[in-house]
Amino acid sequence: MIMHPLLFISGAVSLGLLFALQEWIYSRSWNEHVRLSLLAEAWGVQFFIWGVFCWILWWTLRSRIYTANFKTMLCLFFPLGLFASVLEEVIWVLLFPRLPMGRPPMPFLQRLLFHLDVELIDSLVLFWSAFFLFRGIGYYQSYREKERVATQLQSQLVQAQMRALRMQLNPHFLFNTMNSISSLMRIDVAAADLMLEQLSRLLRITLHRGEAQFIPLSDEMEFIEMYLAMQDRRFAGRVRQQMNVDPHVHDAIVPTMILQPIVENAYAHGLSRLTSQGILSIQASSENSTLRLSVTNTGLGLRSAALRASNGVGLANVQDRLRMHYGDNQSFSISELEDNLVQVVVTLPLRFPERPIEQTTGYGA
Amino acid sequence: MMIQAVLADDEVLARQKLRQLLREFPEIDVVGEGATAEETISLVRATKPDLLFLDVRMPDMDGFDVIGELSTAGAPTMPCIIFTTAYDRYALRAFEIHAVDYLLKPFTLERFRAATQRALDHIRSSKQNPEAAAPKGPNGTPYTTRIVFKSKGRILFLPVSEICWIGAEENYVRICTQSETHLLRETMTHLEEKLDPNTFLRVHRSSIVNLQYVKEVRPEVDGEYGVHLLNGQKIPMSRTYRSKIKNWLER
Repeated sequence: MIMHPLLFISGAVSLGLLFALQEWIYSRSWNEHVRLSLLAEAWGVQFFIWGVFCWILWWTLRSRIYTANFKTMLCLFFPLGLFASVLEEVIWVLLFPRLPMGRPPMPFLQRLLFHLDVELIDSLVLFWSAFFLFRGIGYYQSYREKERVATQLQSQLVQAQMRALRMQLNPHFLFNTMNSISSLMRIDVAAADLMLEQLSRLLRITLHRGEAQFIPLSDEMEFIEMYLAMQDRRFAGRVRQQMNVDPHVHDAIVPTMILQPIVENAYAHGLSRLTSQGILSIQASSENSTLRLSVTNTGLGLRSAALRASNGVGLANVQDRLRMHYGDNQSFSISELEDNLVQVVVTLPLRFPERPIEQTTGYGA
Repeated sequence: MMIQAVLADDEVLARQKLRQLLREFPEIDVVGEGATAEETISLVRATKPDLLFLDVRMPDMDGFDVIGELSTAGAPTMPCIIFTTAYDRYALRAFEIHAVDYLLKPFTLERFRAATQRALDHIRSSKQNPEAAAPKGPNGTPYTTRIVFKSKGRILFLPVSEICWIGAEENYVRICTQSETHLLRETMTHLEEKLDPNTFLRVHRSSIVNLQYVKEVRPEVDGEYGVHLLNGQKIPMSRTYRSKIKNWLER
């Protein structure tokens, strides 16, 4: 909130001018002729001084006002209020030696006492009004601050949950692959070598992404291609892989690791149980302002998969993350298109990055 | 012709692996191994090898310091350099100092073989014909002969001669080699400027072909022409670009 000194002074002075106007109208109704300019001057100056005081109060004692208990009010602010009222009157009386009008000239002290007698209560009321106004502002600000911290905490919590969910994905896959390498090592050293390299590449991509929650679809597809290459090795070409990404959606941003668990699931519950040739097809396309991702695979159908009841962590995880990121603007469905052909469809809002994606291609000899 | 090589890596197992893989190349003679940058520098000065396998991170200096040291000290000829490292972030620098390849550990035998073969070809051709220059573009800068990029967790120093064709996909281009495809964030126009027009021909708004991989150009049933590649792929050609390929065919 902007608390500029001008705000205090102009506020106070306009209040003073209102009082002056009120007194002028009042005096007119009693047929007394007092010049409006004189009244405006007297009231204006008085409230100008109060404006300055309030500003000083705000500047120096703001935090004390917010926290003041009854004792501080009594011991600090009550005397301060008295002092300020008297001081204001002293300055004012010095500035207007000819007032009050219609009386014989009086010495300074007498005039001061005269004015104090009339106005001390009003001044104290003014002081305490300012005090409680500032206190109210303080409460409001601290309320806003608390609210801000609460939202921040909320988003941090969500981030932490995301991280935890992602961690569940990776080790799972990591250990399976290591196991494959370990078994390949005994029968085919070159293949084990290749798989180790591919695993390193996957880890490099993952590490490179770091904590990014969102990545371009092309990056996710790159990861999937790597993953599929490894699975291809494990299933020795038994699965025909098809990928079809609409060029328009290469740049679309998607949550990190959104497809991999689905593909992994397709292998775990469908393709790996087949004895004959299987098909895995991944499609990405856009419809209006939604991005549609689908993974279709042959397998034993949904019923046998449901019997195992272990669709488990992977897919639930994907659903959780979609919900956290997009609320109701997303969908996740798993269905059996025809006999033994299972399709998972994810839709989410089609979004593109605000900043252009960096280009990391170099040319030369 | 024997090719002399030096291996530089602070880890003995890493040097062992290199030595083992190099047995496949009887023409390469490993003349020494350096475990530190200091050792490597004196070894290279003493033996003047043709080929240097260089780790980036070493205890005393990094691989780039080694190269800096070697080139400032008025070494007669710099060896060909193949970097072997676990870090991908130095790839561009390596590319800029004309390293032959950049092997990310762990690498496979195939990857190693390709890099070494490339280095051998390079060494042989520069020994036979030291003054061969790359063809120059219209503004005097030579056409690119290699492209560096990251793809699927790897660093590739891809010689353009290995590119079969290039297809546009929105803000990307897909570079297709004999065995793989890579998606690069690049525009067709920019790429076309970088490539030698004597080898690479734009046949369509969204495709460029490497003429070395073209088997034939023949009319299709619909009256359009199609470019057939050696590997059996077919790339459509548009009218606007047909005259260009005609010119080339008639040369």
